[in-house]
Amino acid sequence: MPRNFGQVSRRRFVAGAAGSGAAIVAPAVFTGARAADELKMATFFPLSGPAALFGPTGTACTRLAVDEINAAGGIGGRKVTIVPADGGAPPAEAAKAAIRLMLRDKVELVVGSHNSAVREAIVAALKGKIPYVYTPLYEGGECNPNVYVTADTPQQQVQPSITWLARTLGAKTYYLIGNDYVWPRKTNEQAKKYIAEAGGSVVGEEYVPLGAPNKFEDAVTRIKAKNPDLVVITLVGGDNVNFNRTFAGFGLDKSIKRISYLLEELTLLGIGDKSSNGLYSAMSYFVNEKSEANAKFKASFAKAFAPKPPPLSMLGVDSYSGVYCAKALIEKAGGTGDAGRLMAASNALRYRTATGTAVMTNRHVVKDMFLAECKGTSFEIVETFKAVAHGQACS
Amino acid sequence: MDPILTTNILNVVYEVSTLAVVVLGLAVVFGLLNVMNLAHGEFVMIGAYCAFFVQTQDLPFLAAVPLALLVCGFIGLVVERILVRPLYARPFDTLLATWGLSMLLREAVEAIYGRGFRSVATPLTGSVDVLGAGYPAYRLLLTAVSIALVAGLVWWFVQSATGRRIRAVVNNPELAGSVGIPVTALARNTFVFGCCLAALAGVMLAPLLPVNPTLGLDFILKSFFVLVVGGLGSLVGLISGAGVIGGVESVVSAVSDRTWGYSTVLVIAILFLWLRPNGLFPRT
Amino acid sequence: MTGAANGEVFSFAGVTGGYGATTVVRGVHGAIAAGEACCVLGRNGVGKTTLMRLLTGHLLLRSGTVRLAGQPLDGLAPDERHRLGLVYCPQDRPVFDNLSVRDNLTLMGPIDAGRHAPLLAAFPVLEARMAQSSGTLSGGERKLLSFVRGIAEPGRLLLLDEPSEGVQQENVERMAGFLREAKAAGRALLVVEQNLAFARDIADRVIVMDRGEVVLAGSAAEIDEDTLAAHLQV
Repeated sequence: MPRNFGQVSRRRFVAGAAGSGAAIVAPAVFTGARAADELKMATFFPLSGPAALFGPTGTACTRLAVDEINAAGGIGGRKVTIVPADGGAPPAEAAKAAIRLMLRDKVELVVGSHNSAVREAIVAALKGKIPYVYTPLYEGGECNPNVYVTADTPQQQVQPSITWLARTLGAKTYYLIGNDYVWPRKTNEQAKKYIAEAGGSVVGEEYVPLGAPNKFEDAVTRIKAKNPDLVVITLVGGDNVNFNRTFAGFGLDKSIKRISYLLEELTLLGIGDKSSNGLYSAMSYFVNEKSEANAKFKASFAKAFAPKPPPLSMLGVDSYSGVYCAKALIEKAGGTGDAGRLMAASNALRYRTATGTAVMTNRHVVKDMFLAECKGTSFEIVETFKAVAHGQACS
Repeated sequence: MDPILTTNILNVVYEVSTLAVVVLGLAVVFGLLNVMNLAHGEFVMIGAYCAFFVQTQDLPFLAAVPLALLVCGFIGLVVERILVRPLYARPFDTLLATWGLSMLLREAVEAIYGRGFRSVATPLTGSVDVLGAGYPAYRLLLTAVSIALVAGLVWWFVQSATGRRIRAVVNNPELAGSVGIPVTALARNTFVFGCCLAALAGVMLAPLLPVNPTLGLDFILKSFFVLVVGGLGSLVGLISGAGVIGGVESVVSAVSDRTWGYSTVLVIAILFLWLRPNGLFPRT
Repeated sequence: MTGAANGEVFSFAGVTGGYGATTVVRGVHGAIAAGEACCVLGRNGVGKTTLMRLLTGHLLLRSGTVRLAGQPLDGLAPDERHRLGLVYCPQDRPVFDNLSVRDNLTLMGPIDAGRHAPLLAAFPVLEARMAQSSGTLSGGERKLLSFVRGIAEPGRLLLLDEPSEGVQQENVERMAGFLREAKAAGRALLVVEQNLAFARDIADRVIVMDRGEVVLAGSAAEIDEDTLAAHLQV
């Protein structure tokens, strides 16, 4: 059922009239109307399970974005309140939570950073009734109505980085290793295409179970036998740490370069400075990114969560941009109730990110991508790829 | 010999021996007390965090050994007194209680160190040439220490007076008390000893693991498989169980991949539960 | 107050207990002085072994008292009673059958020339099998091993539950000899027996139980054969 847009316009008018000086008075004046005037936003961050490591950062980044937005008048004049849910729960649980949040809690917007299985469950539960912004990196292909993906796609992560590494390092032979689920397999599909285009060949490809207590001695021994120029890693979390430590433990880091497609600050901390030699990562955000916007973002983050801010990493910061994307989208569409208007509004939508601005097309985001080399336990950006296409064709 | 083959063989030996050390404490406690300590993996995890702690204090790696023994020994002592001892005769309740304990310990460590991964630097870097194959020195040392530890414990268990008394209690707990073996104290010491063994395994493995609060969960399942296959009766069963589980997984993983290695182990464990529930060396 | 003062090493009164909700032994009492043997007689299933397990701390008393040298044993674990001088040779599973004969004897200390040597000399069947697992012994041989283990211990009170069960006649007679020596050395004995001749041979006092209660008690000399037989008849 479409919401009455007249109402929304009136709210915007009130917010506009309140202006900067009246903002202080506003709460007193509108106390009665406030609850109805709130825009409830559900968030899905992993609060339990193996990815729970990233939960606190996501929660904090969302909090920061919402506080900033509310301080500046909210979304379309409406204050935003956060209703948190667990994105680390099994997909069926997450779906139930989504339905409950939509029907009972009347949330008008969902922002989530979690795995694809949970995303598919939430998409099926929401049925496009309210806008859903999905923010981490993923395998691509999400085109369901009223879903807006700010995530990095394989086209963005893999193409420029493989091309650059093939050229700069002269990499000819590649070994692919990942966890056995959709993201690594789809990402490697793309990778194989770009490797072929760069004139390289894949000498080995293997997948280890997701969620099993994996060890990597055997894989590292196989890699040693194949002696590739570059290992393309799509392992996640503890497996990524374990593999890279084993890899360096066997001394392979001295002769073989690695690129990992889900390697951010927290995982690198686990890998440690002794095991990160010759390891690269390609994503749209690194804490060390040198832009003025990022410096400002980091300063506000540190100030907001002093004295003990959660550690920053791509997984978490993605939701900061996600909230701003939602704001821009809803304001441009004039409300949350009309999926058609929202989807139309998403085209060429400009919104604020931690590192600057981004532009949405086909409900995905054209963005700057960074290739970083690990130096100890921090990243040093060695190349910036400007306005990289996302390669998605959602209408 | 082909260096890759040598490396693969060393991988198998490494996996089996380190697995045996992890399971050792669990098996000793179960053998004597009939208590399956589901928090065993968390003691491994705490041992690993002790290694991380000494690193942050700029202390030598080996300082983690006494620290881990002290910390886990103390926790073990308290846990035995307030949780395990009152529930000795109620195996299902001890399962629940130690499972609860495992969650508590995970949460406690998380409260101190957070959920993030920590890395412990390898105390011994570089590699050693074994029959033409370069193998990481620390892994070799770890394999040697693990084998020595298991062998030493077996030897002690077989020939020492305390070892004999432990076997006596396992065989006939009622008579053991009547011949003057201090059964309660022995049970307490054994539990603490099991916790200390886990702690030691944690310190030893810390440089090779993603140190995080959920680390222990990775160990408890595989330890179960070892006990299922080996049987709960003896150290021979334990070692053969570690040999079968660790060996099969790493051999299959080496010739195929981890998915096959892991599923083969699962199938073996299920077959054992189904066809030979008392394992290779059942308790008499 | 009875106690160590009038020569009583071991006394128990009102001993009541059993398994779960079932009371097996009710109000059993008795006393043994130093150098004295008391035999507990009764048909199968009247609670003799349960009484022994109550006295040794393997079962909790529901009510009653047990004193060793005047000291109450309430709440003491079997190993703590052992330390006070209570030696127990149970009827069932009398040895550690996963240990060798030697290990059974040396569990708490080395072989003692003074105490073990005469016993092993008297029972060559054990001496010949010192290195063998006691699990390979016959039932009677296990009882013999248990007897040797118990009587070689220095405790002042010896509780034996059917020591002669399955043991060859010549060895039963040797056992009786060692028990008389123990009495002469001032030890107190409480022996559960089915073998009436053996009991007659060693007992100074007799307790006859039926359905968990004492039905007859007194000095062995005063109780005539017929009365005893009447109580033990099925």
